[in-house]
Amino acid sequence: MTSVLTQLVARSLLAPALVVAAGILVKGYSDVGDGFAAAIVAALGILLQFLAFGRAQVAAVLPIRRAPLVALCGLGLAVTVFAVPLAVGAAPLEHWPPAAQSPVHVGSLELITAVAFDVGVFLLVLGSAVAIIDALAATAEDEA
Amino acid sequence: MALAAFVAGWLTGGGGIDLAWAPTWDLRLAFELDGLAALYGILAAGIGVLVFVYASAYVPRHLAHQGRPRREEARLHAAMVLFLISMLGLTTAQDLILLFVFWDLTAVASWLLIGFDRHDREARLSALMALMVTAVSAVLMLVGILMLRVEYATTQLPELFAVARQSTTVTVAVALIVVAALAKSAQVPFHFWLPRAMAAPTPVSAYLHSAAMVAAGVFLLSRIHPLIALDGALLDALVVVGFASMAVGGVLALAADGLKRLLAYSTISQYGYVVTMLGVGGTAGAAAACFYVLAHALAKSALFMTAGAVTEATGATALSGLGGLGRRMPLLAAASGAAVAAIAALPLTIGFFKDELFFKAALEHGSLTAALAVAGAALTFAYMARFWSGIFLGSPRDAPQPIERRLVWPVALLALAAVGGGIVVAPFAALAQDAAAVTSGAAVKLEAAYHLDARSENLMALAAYALGAFVLVVRGVLSKPLAIVEWVGTHFGPERAYSASLRGLNRLSNQLHDIEVRDLRTRVAAVIVPGAALVAVGVVLTPTEGAYRVGQIVAADTPLVAALAVCALAAVAVTAPRNHLALALMLSAVGFALATAYSLLGAPDVALVAVLIETIFALLFVGVFALLPADVLRREARLRPHRSRQVRDAGIAIVSGVVTTLVVWAAFSRPVPSAGMAERHLTLAEDAHGKDVVTVILADFRGLDTLVEITVVGVAMIGVTALLASRRRV
Amino acid sequence: MNLAFAVVVGALFGSGVYLLLKPDLFRVVAGLVLVSNAANLTLMASGLTRGQAPVQPTQPGAAVADPLVQAMTLTALVIGFAVTALLLGLSVGVYRARHSVDLDEISRQQAADAVLREGREAPHDEEHELREAHEEAIAYDEATR
Repeated sequence: MTSVLTQLVARSLLAPALVVAAGILVKGYSDVGDGFAAAIVAALGILLQFLAFGRAQVAAVLPIRRAPLVALCGLGLAVTVFAVPLAVGAAPLEHWPPAAQSPVHVGSLELITAVAFDVGVFLLVLGSAVAIIDALAATAEDEA
Repeated sequence: MALAAFVAGWLTGGGGIDLAWAPTWDLRLAFELDGLAALYGILAAGIGVLVFVYASAYVPRHLAHQGRPRREEARLHAAMVLFLISMLGLTTAQDLILLFVFWDLTAVASWLLIGFDRHDREARLSALMALMVTAVSAVLMLVGILMLRVEYATTQLPELFAVARQSTTVTVAVALIVVAALAKSAQVPFHFWLPRAMAAPTPVSAYLHSAAMVAAGVFLLSRIHPLIALDGALLDALVVVGFASMAVGGVLALAADGLKRLLAYSTISQYGYVVTMLGVGGTAGAAAACFYVLAHALAKSALFMTAGAVTEATGATALSGLGGLGRRMPLLAAASGAAVAAIAALPLTIGFFKDELFFKAALEHGSLTAALAVAGAALTFAYMARFWSGIFLGSPRDAPQPIERRLVWPVALLALAAVGGGIVVAPFAALAQDAAAVTSGAAVKLEAAYHLDARSENLMALAAYALGAFVLVVRGVLSKPLAIVEWVGTHFGPERAYSASLRGLNRLSNQLHDIEVRDLRTRVAAVIVPGAALVAVGVVLTPTEGAYRVGQIVAADTPLVAALAVCALAAVAVTAPRNHLALALMLSAVGFALATAYSLLGAPDVALVAVLIETIFALLFVGVFALLPADVLRREARLRPHRSRQVRDAGIAIVSGVVTTLVVWAAFSRPVPSAGMAERHLTLAEDAHGKDVVTVILADFRGLDTLVEITVVGVAMIGVTALLASRRRV
Repeated sequence: MNLAFAVVVGALFGSGVYLLLKPDLFRVVAGLVLVSNAANLTLMASGLTRGQAPVQPTQPGAAVADPLVQAMTLTALVIGFAVTALLLGLSVGVYRARHSVDLDEISRQQAADAVLREGREAPHDEEHELREAHEEAIAYDEATR
């Protein structure tokens, strides 16, 4: 599978895949898609690298060994967004800003805590998917 | 520090904290420092301080004996602090659910403490036994709490006290909680775990089995006493259990030889007194119970520490190896003598008043109770005298080794408190009086004083001393029968039932495991077939008129129907191919057809995710197939199952498919009028600053579901990586 | 439409059950995927309204699809994904331990192992441990008496 053509295609698809993922993630609140879809798009891009280059080469370029850590950070972020309102006396997962207030804008982006929650979902799913792919790829190498 | 806070809190009249915890379930973090919390909290914190001092000298020696590193001491301290914190939480909690949480925390902490010598199997098994008995009974308590909640829609104690009325449900619920409390206080028939728990290091016993863990049981009884008092039968049951524990504990304490074993049996019998008095009830009973707990905890922890110090000095752990230490260790002898006197209720100690109040409450209850009370007190007098004289009197043995002062002066301090309480009783009485007021729900006037006249309490005390002395004299004759009683008790008593039930559970789980593992498919069929049959019966029995509606198919639905048709055909086709690659491709055909259907149903979010997941699935399946040697899969593909088996499988599949169709159809045919629901969600989403309602629901309205969902993903990741990584190392 | 949805759900579920009963581990996994697909479709089809996507801006006047079932289906899809990945990993693990993915063969192997094991060593369980501990405790008591 590691022909020059597949490598070329795989490499040229990685950046677009990640950009599309980022787009899906930040626009999740106002358009189709959410953290989960974004994570799977990114994971597909990385899976393609595994298929084209093999595990060792991907590990040299991308920090795939840190995938479980990324997943853990994602879970931590989501739990933080869940738990912080408890500390300030609101219901868990109450988002900021509240309904009446308008959020801070950066360009056309809206900064709300719900997006942070979605980023947590993104990181967890991406980290998990990459870790699973990595484990399977490692097994494949052992068998070969 | 905690001790100072509790004393200050009690003196200033207490206070409360009330935080919302999970408002949707009406759970609140409600703590209040009332009289009862002050009594048990001051005991737990005060004796805790002394035990910490004692442990700082004892534990290094203990570890050195066993050749273990010093740093393990930190583990013990951590567990003791955890225990202290959960105990303070338990005493102040005003919500039954909160109480249950701290209750279980104390059980876990005590498991860590009893099993501190983890290399020792006896210690591990004893810790497990203590955990099983107290935690399994705690499940009963949870059931009771939930029953109360269902009945009165609250678990807040003050509200419950206000609304609870006598009824069968309440009686059963409270009885379940009472069972848990009795198990924690090591009352008959759950007493067997306490002597076993003596495998713990001595400071742990001094703490857990005098002032804290065991006291938690009677604390709970005192805390919910207004609920228990609703039903007279429960109170009577408490009296019976209390006397039974007094008798069993007392007789076994007379028979026991090991120092700590004797003290453990004595604890069983002493808490039997308290349970009896709580069963007697009323203001007299409540006052007696609270004062008794206070006096007993002071004296009993001193005695446990004495036992530890004596063992450290001489190496002997049983009475038969000891004697004549009085002259060699005069301070320890005097201090523990005071503690023994306090438990045996001699005058000039705090213990005299505990028995005075006890006799008073028993007299009010009836003459039989009073007679049994005297008998119990006589037993106490006898085994306590035996304990002290066995160690400190008699002919001297080998000279004891010198021990640290920190092993002695905590005992002396506690003894001082016990004697001080016998002379100036007012502060102790005030503490117990406040606690009793909470227990009985009415103002209590606790009177403790010496009366030099022939009133019945004094006569009962004298009778108890005389009877106790008599028992002590005849004990020599009775020693053989007593030993037999103890042997029979440990071999045929409730402990046997405990190990039998453990064994039974083990066997059951083994059998289930065997069946489950040996033949997965038979199990699957065994779940699916009866399930389908039951549902089919339900479908047949329900009236069919109007239950099934075909529903319209309009022209705009044509693409949707086409996608669904492809999906159904592909699903049936998945069952056909032998080749694994074809199987994977068919499977993704199903998935992509479904994704198309989702997008036609106005669900672009779902369709997007479905497409992505199908892509990953296809790659994963193909990747895994590429992993395995081709011949394994080829062999599998060529394998032809037995004809009859194939027919059976197909039959099961068709039946379950048809039944599912019927049930789902019936469910779909019952529309609920719901105009405007989707539009309302749209406006709500706008409030949440979102335009895509589905994402808003996931991240905001139903965010908890999403949190759980990603946790599942994380767990699956850990599972896969651990599974594949652990195999690689082999 | 009700009947159409119900028939497709039934077909998915029936095929899934058929595969679940096969001895091949990968067919079992495929069967579970089909069954969870059936559940997902049921969820989606039980939406109270059908119509355009619930994403603003919507066209006024036209019906909007029920967003709640969509959110639930999404959650179910993700969990299904995680579970399937776990099952595939498990199957690979089973293959490495037993060099087979056939349940019939594996249970034959296990039965043979069990016979071997029982011949070699006495059963060792909690009961045994408890009894031994007991005897030790009694011996200890008697020794110190």
